[in-house]
Amino acid sequence: MKFLVPMTLLLSAALEAQPQLITLPGRSPLISFRIVFLTGAASDPAGKQGLASLTAAMLAQGGSRRMSYQEILDALFPMAVSVNFQVDKEMTVFHATTHLENLEEFYKIFRAMLLDPGWREEDLNRLRDDAINFLRVSLRGNNEEELAKEVLYNLIYSGHPYGHHNAGVVSALQKLRMEDLQEFYRRNYSRSNLIIGLAGGYAPDFPERVRKDFSRLPAGRVPPVKLPDPPPLHGRHVTLIEKDTRAVACSIGFPIAVRRGHPDYPALLVAQSWFGQHRMSGGRLFQRIRELRGLNYGDYAYIEYFPRGMFQLEPDPNLARRQQIFQIWIRPVEPQTAHFTLRLAMYELDRLVRQGLTQEEFERTRQFLSKYVNLLTRTKTAELGYAIDGRFYGIRDYNTYIKQALARLTLGDVNRAIRKHLRTTDLHIVAVAKNCEALRSRLLADEPSPMTYNAPRSPEILEEDKTVERWKLELKPENVRIVPVEKVFE
Amino acid sequence: MLAFAAGERRIFPYNWDQHDFQNGLRLIVVPTDYPNVVALYIVVQAGSRNEVEPGKSGFAHLFEHMMFRGTKSFPPEKYEGVLKAAGASSNAYTTDDHTAYHTTFSKEDLETILAMEADRFQNLEYSPDVFRTEALAVLGEYNKNSADPANKLEEVLRDTAFDRHTYKHTTMGFLKDILDMPNQFDYSRLFFDRYYRPEYTTIIVAGDVEPARVRALVEKYWGGWKPGRFRPEIPAEPPAGAPRTNHISWASPTLPWVVVGFRGPAYSDEIPDHAALDLIAYLGFSESSELYRKLVIREQRVDILEAENLRRVDPYLFNVWARVKKDADVAAVRDEILATLEAFQQEPVDAQRLERVKRHLRYRFVLSLRDSQAVAATVARFVALRRTPETINRLFELYEKVTPATIQAVARKYFIEQGRTIVTLAGGTAQ
Repeated sequence: MKFLVPMTLLLSAALEAQPQLITLPGRSPLISFRIVFLTGAASDPAGKQGLASLTAAMLAQGGSRRMSYQEILDALFPMAVSVNFQVDKEMTVFHATTHLENLEEFYKIFRAMLLDPGWREEDLNRLRDDAINFLRVSLRGNNEEELAKEVLYNLIYSGHPYGHHNAGVVSALQKLRMEDLQEFYRRNYSRSNLIIGLAGGYAPDFPERVRKDFSRLPAGRVPPVKLPDPPPLHGRHVTLIEKDTRAVACSIGFPIAVRRGHPDYPALLVAQSWFGQHRMSGGRLFQRIRELRGLNYGDYAYIEYFPRGMFQLEPDPNLARRQQIFQIWIRPVEPQTAHFTLRLAMYELDRLVRQGLTQEEFERTRQFLSKYVNLLTRTKTAELGYAIDGRFYGIRDYNTYIKQALARLTLGDVNRAIRKHLRTTDLHIVAVAKNCEALRSRLLADEPSPMTYNAPRSPEILEEDKTVERWKLELKPENVRIVPVEKVFE
Repeated sequence: MLAFAAGERRIFPYNWDQHDFQNGLRLIVVPTDYPNVVALYIVVQAGSRNEVEPGKSGFAHLFEHMMFRGTKSFPPEKYEGVLKAAGASSNAYTTDDHTAYHTTFSKEDLETILAMEADRFQNLEYSPDVFRTEALAVLGEYNKNSADPANKLEEVLRDTAFDRHTYKHTTMGFLKDILDMPNQFDYSRLFFDRYYRPEYTTIIVAGDVEPARVRALVEKYWGGWKPGRFRPEIPAEPPAGAPRTNHISWASPTLPWVVVGFRGPAYSDEIPDHAALDLIAYLGFSESSELYRKLVIREQRVDILEAENLRRVDPYLFNVWARVKKDADVAAVRDEILATLEAFQQEPVDAQRLERVKRHLRYRFVLSLRDSQAVAATVARFVALRRTPETINRLFELYEKVTPATIQAVARKYFIEQGRTIVTLAGGTAQ
């Protein structure tokens, strides 16, 4: 399943003439569209971070040439359909689900939105405001957990095409002009860059009709963005974001060479699931940090980008990337336990790297994942999304890929993959906190950070705490930075 | 399946099997045509509304956490192990009127999961030490919510609008009560003893299932559950008497908010008031409303505009939320909202616009039933109110009956000064 050439290259080479079509026909009157362009924030030109996202917003939340945005909203309202978009580094998706009874009426509007945009200044002004307020208010102001995660990504990919938030940076957004958006659209929204996904009980000839309509887009072949390796990381780097907040939100991570389709993906998926399956209480981190010690609300680990994790239990599809990171998410902790919790997370990661999983842990996690994949694709729109991602990664359908790979997997594979790809050195730590100077001093001093609890703990935990509280972070002063929150994403 | 024509009466498209067991437990089985997967929702009709004693706000939610702390037969590791072996996705939530425990899994694991859930509902056991630890996880949850001003707004809105009813506090509870939770072990056992009883509980099973088999399994594992006798006395809310206002100064920079609330009615599938307010919410404040067109699209002074008419067992609030881009515009936006509500009192709405909203609600509902989990989740919300999916059909019949005259009458009844609460929030400036 190894691939040597980036998938986007293969896709465009094979199917230059026509957009690709992925269909899941069925009997359901719920018709789902996923229109995916293989472009995204990694294609933002220098100094124009946010262009891919704002362009997509203009299509999904602006008018078409014939209809103003308000007219579109009025027309869609009785059908209860909304056109959603998501821009990631290398994928932009427009998705919607309509009832079969409204399919024709909806499709006419949807098609015009994507193929014949209106490019109105008033739409641009509104959407630019939305993008800036998303970064400044929703993310920086009101969501410390997501803020820490996104800053972690920006740091890991500093100077790299992945190095800015998908929504952009404020100063660049302020300067973007309509011509920039139109130019981005012309260059990147080409039919060779397009995958059309359809699911549901549409008429048999409908997919071909859609393909024909979208073949109106320019043929222009867009070479995939060149992705250098992420910048080399030496030592442990800590970035403290100074913010007036009650608690401390923290994320830890480093790049990995593994993505879907990589020979070690299934093995690392097992490791990640055992260590910190998203929003489930059985993960090792959750057990040790929350369940046994009550330090916060939850603790998880990831090997793929998973935005908006606090709002949803399952990841959104169509966030496919050629490069991924390993990430630990520590939900907000009380300030006085922040140092200890950070050490505990590092201690657990260290334990994972040194000990790996036991045979029993491996078997249980493998069994879990073999069934859990069914839940990930239980809606038609999700199944469609995963199928499109499968094309990107060059794998067959996700469920078959995972089940077959897991069936062949051994404990040895998992522990080898852990040792090969995971580490406790050379990583970034991001924390959003108040009084960062004091926290910085504590982290640099590396003195013990003993825990006190509100109830008796087992001797095993107390014994372990003695090790954890002294776990050396060994940070260099030049690697511990404080960033005022107002500076982030600006 | 799922198709419907305008005016057709039965909006909930599935046939369901409803059965009451002798101990008061109710089972609702909804076979869907989505293959392999089963969604189990266990709804307990107790939520933060039931937190009647002073100092106990947030308790229903804390209790939801305790339910994951195990029994003799299934200590947490074993419970977790079974879920894991089933590849199940499992979680829970608490709201004003109910608490729901939900698990989604492959159909072959139905018996295992039903048996294990029956055990924890009947035999939950945890030590004071474990309780104190879990209380801290709840504080952690408060902490992670605390960065969002919308949570603070809801807290202050409720506290301002209500005097006696338990809707005065949010489900999360007051911070002072959360900080005291570790000391409330005994109350937690009392809460379990009162409400975790068959007569408060409805089991919903949706998906690739056969009703007779599910009924037999539930009888086998849940049939011996003993009913209780406790009935809470929820304090009735006295009339508000005068308009109320409050203001929040948010420490860090953020956009200002204004929330305009009015005392509203309880949920009903018989009396049209609450249903009419649902329609007003869309007529006045949805993406296709005149006010949205003006404030969000044309003038671009507001970036979030939403009306909220939550379905609750007791009378709650009808609220309009707006996030404003500039502090200077807050008062004007508030007045625009008030004028929009007043207009419903002055003039009957256009009948065609009303029809469009009804059509929107029908499609919105049908589109939401996208898989078995969504079906069970939707049923759970309604079961918390009337204990049967039939209430969904009745509600949509009620929508059909609402006329422009009903809208006007309901607006006159509820959008009155004496029932009004306005809360504003302003952000601090950057350092």
